[in-house]
Amino acid sequence: MTEAPLLDVAGLSIRIDGTARDLVSDLSFTLNKGETLCIVGESGCGKSLTALALMGLLATPPLRVTGGTARFRGDDLLTLPPAQMRKLRGDRIGMIFQEPMTSLNPALKIGDQIAEAVRRHTELSEADARAHALEMLRRVRIPAPETRLDVYPHNLSGGMRQRVMIAIALANTPDLVLADEPTTALDVTIQAQVLELMRNLQRDTGTAMILITHDLGVVAEMADHVAVMYAGQMVETGPVAAIFDDPQHPYTIGLMSSMPGLDGGSDRLVTIPGVVPPARDMPGGCRFAARCPFADAQCAQVPPTTSAAGNTSHRVACWKAPLEQQEDAA
Amino acid sequence: MIRHDIILETQALQKRFAGRKPFFGEAKVVRAVDGINLKVRRGETLAIVGESGCGKSTLARLLVRLMPPSDGTVVYEGRNIANIAPEEMRHLRRDLQFIFQDPFSSLNPRMTIGALIEEPLRVHKFGTKQDRRVKVAEMLARVGLPASVIDRYPHEFSGGQRQRIGIARALITGPKVVIGDEPVSALDVSIQAQVINILQDLKDDLGLTLVIIAHDLAVVRHMADRVAVMYLGEIVEQGPVADLFANPKHPYTAALIAAIPVAEIGARHAATKLEGDPPNPIDLPTGCRFHPRCQHATQICQTNRPALDGTGPDRWAACHHANTLSLQGYIGSGHSRSPTTQARFDLYRAASAVLPPQDQKTTT
Repeated sequence: MTEAPLLDVAGLSIRIDGTARDLVSDLSFTLNKGETLCIVGESGCGKSLTALALMGLLATPPLRVTGGTARFRGDDLLTLPPAQMRKLRGDRIGMIFQEPMTSLNPALKIGDQIAEAVRRHTELSEADARAHALEMLRRVRIPAPETRLDVYPHNLSGGMRQRVMIAIALANTPDLVLADEPTTALDVTIQAQVLELMRNLQRDTGTAMILITHDLGVVAEMADHVAVMYAGQMVETGPVAAIFDDPQHPYTIGLMSSMPGLDGGSDRLVTIPGVVPPARDMPGGCRFAARCPFADAQCAQVPPTTSAAGNTSHRVACWKAPLEQQEDAA
Repeated sequence: MIRHDIILETQALQKRFAGRKPFFGEAKVVRAVDGINLKVRRGETLAIVGESGCGKSTLARLLVRLMPPSDGTVVYEGRNIANIAPEEMRHLRRDLQFIFQDPFSSLNPRMTIGALIEEPLRVHKFGTKQDRRVKVAEMLARVGLPASVIDRYPHEFSGGQRQRIGIARALITGPKVVIGDEPVSALDVSIQAQVINILQDLKDDLGLTLVIIAHDLAVVRHMADRVAVMYLGEIVEQGPVADLFANPKHPYTAALIAAIPVAEIGARHAATKLEGDPPNPIDLPTGCRFHPRCQHATQICQTNRPALDGTGPDRWAACHHANTLSLQGYIGSGHSRSPTTQARFDLYRAASAVLPPQDQKTTT
């Protein structure tokens, strides 16, 4: 593969004004055409801020990008003027948010909302845009699309609204879709439907996707590559199989261990002790050190460097990885 | 027939809410809980599962009479609490406690943690001020919070810590039955595990009976002894947790299990994807309420409402075809970790168990 990646993020850092350390610190990843990268982590890990920064939607001030680049089709998304960013958003970059009810306009019929997204970025006539909206509703498999064109968001269920959001996000066949917890607000049977739909549409259109989630089950189903974030840092990244079969970072292992299993077993759950550090007071060394059962003085003081784990693109930021080597040495 | 010791029981329990009255005609009625017979056994953890709008939270509130039922009875220790006088109910409230999903909105922001946890004791006129303080300190230790939190306010705590406070408040009166309405679903996975462990320890130590309302089947699989599956105001299936997950008898249960995203590579997915949305609880389908979404539905399902009948030892299902269908239960990937990876997980388990159950830090 010699083709340049579709998106190349290097050293992305985000800070709250007036704080000493970056909230999101030195984040780097690449995404190839048609691939899905899942960014996984718990509340406050910076996964949503990362998405907002890439879309130029960060609330500045108090938040601001303090470093890094995000190359996308020759542009740097982090420094692109707002007018040009607006041209990209909704056209080359589609967006899907967690709560469709707050992202859809309650006063506009859904057909008009999809058509608006199309007309903003193309020369299509009103009639053609409406025809395209109908086609999009069909593709996201909304039943009776002809009649649904003229309903309002509140007439639809949560799952149907999220399908409309997906239709808008994909209306202009973007190169990249950023989806921030797109199924978190949905019931599990509806989530399964929406995830399947997203997979199928992605296969048909070759769109790349950054899927932000806290749910490792969703990651296992959707991802080609995974980035695990903790307190603003990427602690581990790699192909999905490597992350699940050969996790290296204590946080990744802790996260997987603390999920209740479906195979039963009434053992006590393994936990990650403690809580995440406050956003305005990030620690200096490894940010996971205070909660890590393997941490020592070095971990608390010196941020770990990222090292290759295995011979793939699997990388981990931990002084102690792999854990079994530490045990041997001790 | 084994006779179980029943602590809480409902009979033909109903809760109807009136919808908006249209300009012409009658107001439509939402049947949130529609004729539920449920027996909660002393000392068990019973999980009630189902999707949004199935009536599980309404049922939870009826069980401890946070709202009066429209019809039917709720019997606690032989007494019908459905129409009990408020004064008597207040007395019984010591025995029947509730844990809410969102701990923040259930804690008065102007009260200190100490006052919040002590409040139920004051309401029930327990002991002297000194006695109550001792009790509060004891309770804080049980839920893994340092004694220093008593003078602080709810906004100073993270979600997981607030839920610990909510649990302390619910358990301070020494209840017999605790109902948790999605007690861990607002929490991050790592925090959720801490709170699940606390709930289980407390249940064991204090001999509680737990009723957990949940939509996360992994949490249910881990915590529950028995499961009741709800769909549109009815219980459609009930049974011991392991058996129910392995051999669901109702197509809805099978669909729920099939829809769980499994955090394993190559987890197989049963082909029982559920189509469509749940119907509107105002205009309920005729016959079996699940039939419009059920791939096994036949003529009889459209016309006759199935009863919750026995399908095996301690198993019940409300499906006309429960005994003839062979449905797919939970299947993992069958994929196991390499010895090296497993060793790493074992190392983590051992090392994390050595650390105190939680650190003493609080967040801003």
